[in-house]
Amino acid sequence: MNPLETLANEVPHLQHSFDSAFVFGPVTQYVFWMAICLALTLIVVLVAGRKLKLVPHNKFVNMVEYGYEFVRKDMGENAIGHGYQKHIPFLATLFFFILISNVVGLIPGCKTPTGTISVTWALALISFVYFNYYGIKARGGLGYLKSIAPSGLPKVMVPVIWFFEFISLVLRLLTLAVRLYGNMFAGHMVLGIFALATSVFITSAAQNVAFGAVSVGWFALLIAMYALECLVAFLQAYVFTILSAVYVSLATSEH
Amino acid sequence: MDITLVLSALKVVGYGLGAIGPGIGIGIACYGCCVATARQPELQGRLFTNFIIGAALAEALALIGFVLTFIL
Repeated sequence: MNPLETLANEVPHLQHSFDSAFVFGPVTQYVFWMAICLALTLIVVLVAGRKLKLVPHNKFVNMVEYGYEFVRKDMGENAIGHGYQKHIPFLATLFFFILISNVVGLIPGCKTPTGTISVTWALALISFVYFNYYGIKARGGLGYLKSIAPSGLPKVMVPVIWFFEFISLVLRLLTLAVRLYGNMFAGHMVLGIFALATSVFITSAAQNVAFGAVSVGWFALLIAMYALECLVAFLQAYVFTILSAVYVSLATSEH
Repeated sequence: MDITLVLSALKVVGYGLGAIGPGIGIGIACYGCCVATARQPELQGRLFTNFIIGAALAEALALIGFVLTFIL
């Protein structure tokens, strides 16, 4: 049988493996892995924060402190500016949870919790509520609604601009959720298809040696995509966190 | 020809068309960010934040297309 046809027959099974199947009781596989990632995040932070010293000599502690410094300097200080200290715990929690979820998903056999839209909706909703809450706290309810349109516009233009800015404000919720979900889901789907193609072509190498040679090409593509996915796993955690920071700064800044 | 197959293929084509604009937009934004950083490296943090905001706004269009592919 033609290996490409076998591949086309196998793809629905691959798609089916991304559905949220029940593992035990009401717990789906994504909820299961999310619990594991939450536990991992907690363990990493608690172990690293157990004995805090001015100059840590432990490699693990150094690594986690580097990540924390990264959130604090690159995201907090650069994006939020004045008064960024109180937002750092929220941003660091988001960053470490998303990063650990994405990295766990790269281990073969594991699922990333961010590969389902429900988890990313929840994360985006938390971020959305958070920056709106701080915006209202900084300016008052009416002041926050007014500040959606940038100041210094001609009077006639204000309602139109306000309307578009309001839509873009609401769309932030959608884009935060879908960006993370789309990147993780699509990346894992591509990895799955390349892995499937490799195995299908290797099993048909018995009929024709040329198929075996092609499977080496599929495997090279798989490795290349895996390297890219390692980058994407970090990049999406970074983008999600820095966008949350930017939204907080837009909601609370003075002008 | 199978009509559902044609419809699902057309959805993907529509998403591809919708991704052209944001792709060009993010490319231009990234170009501007790189050029500006090369001229004034000390402003890098501020420029990069602006680039991220602009890229997020442009990317929103592509993401709406991505969502529509699923829900339509």
